[in-house]
Amino acid sequence: MDLEQLRKTAAEVVARDDVKYLIGWKKGSYGYRVAPVFVEDAAGVAELIFSPLCTANLATYLTLVEKTPLPRGQEADKRKVAVMVKGCDSRAVVQLLVEKGIHREDVIVIGCPCPGVVDQSLLAEKYGDTKELVEVKWNGDSFLLVRGGEEIKIPRDEVLAEKCRLCRFPNPVISDHLISDEVEKRDLAEDSGVSELEAKDVDGRWEYWEEQFNKCIRCYSCRNVCPLCYCQDCILDRLNPTWINRAVNFSENTAFNISRAFHLAGRCIECGECERVCPANIPLGKINRKMAREVREKYGFEPGLDPDAEPFQASFKPDDPEDFIL
Amino acid sequence: MSDNYEPNIVAFLCNWCSYAGADLAGTSRVQYPANIQVIRVMCSGRVNPLYVMNALQQGADGVLVSGCHPGDCHYMEGNFHARRRLGMLKDLMEFVGVDPKRFHMSWVSASEGHKWKEVVEKTVEDAREAGPYEGFRRRQIDW
Repeated sequence: MDLEQLRKTAAEVVARDDVKYLIGWKKGSYGYRVAPVFVEDAAGVAELIFSPLCTANLATYLTLVEKTPLPRGQEADKRKVAVMVKGCDSRAVVQLLVEKGIHREDVIVIGCPCPGVVDQSLLAEKYGDTKELVEVKWNGDSFLLVRGGEEIKIPRDEVLAEKCRLCRFPNPVISDHLISDEVEKRDLAEDSGVSELEAKDVDGRWEYWEEQFNKCIRCYSCRNVCPLCYCQDCILDRLNPTWINRAVNFSENTAFNISRAFHLAGRCIECGECERVCPANIPLGKINRKMAREVREKYGFEPGLDPDAEPFQASFKPDDPEDFIL
Repeated sequence: MSDNYEPNIVAFLCNWCSYAGADLAGTSRVQYPANIQVIRVMCSGRVNPLYVMNALQQGADGVLVSGCHPGDCHYMEGNFHARRRLGMLKDLMEFVGVDPKRFHMSWVSASEGHKWKEVVEKTVEDAREAGPYEGFRRRQIDW
């Protein structure tokens, strides 16, 4: 990946008068960490990186900005925000455009064609976590781990993130600037996680999810990190009516997880952030991918591809399947 | 499961068709199982999937949502929205491991008292087969 090209593009973008800041990735403080960075001027551009460690979906930050009431006579800051996106993240941007969570004229999309990112926990598990700052690079069909002057070649499949094994959109579906040539689409791995569960009977699946949901500590990380969970008034925070109690027990955990998955059905763009941040390692990706598959196969709808599409759950077709109706 | 187990079913009926259909069944003296607790909503499109989930959480053994036939909705398209949402909810519930027999959806118009009877019988029978639901029942706290 050519960082020069990225930094040049970024410098051009932040130098514009109508740009507030650029959201990108920078090196973290130690180990495999990568942190988000908000670049406001050309000097900050040197910090930007794009490497296989850049897993975070930065589209989240587009809707996280707090909109406080303006003092009288003061104009709102109408400058644009630039954001660096991978293929999957760009679908989040499109989905936000569909839902009018952001407006096209307020955002500049810097597309980063992505050959696949690593799963940091897998990397730490197999190659050990360190306190020193290490680098990971793409190297043809494998990853290159640079640690203390030593280079370790890692086969792609060994540490590749799960979402990248199933990635259908490695190139940004929407972008104003591209930082490199588009990457080649790879053959898809079979989604074994979901089909294994589908093969079980109802009780078997319940057993599986019972164990998973019991682990939930209700930290709401999955909600907070999700680029598409941006309701100002979330049902989880609402007290009247209290649909989901705050108590951490199996009943409420299940209710929470079902409603979270349902609210993302037909909207989830499979960036895998919820699963990555989950401290209890609940395989939320499985449930999201299952719903995405249902929506794709039964309703012929794919979220996050067409900015002019109608939101899935707010629209209908007269010939939607109704075989389940008595 | 004890022999005298009677399932507890929550039914969300739309004001314009299904509620009137159930009413017709009543006035025509059609006999149907008394396990149904009816909640009248203005439209099947009003049924938030959270209602279904909450009913199961609070002690229902089965849930039934019933609305007007497609194209007959008083609000033109409410039941189309309900169909899409609740169809997905059913898939999701099934994937998580809630028996699909516990959740049904039907179209019953104001003139279909006899269809209402069949729908209720089928729902109750399915819920009876599936047994008492303890799945993610909310814990009752006795102070």
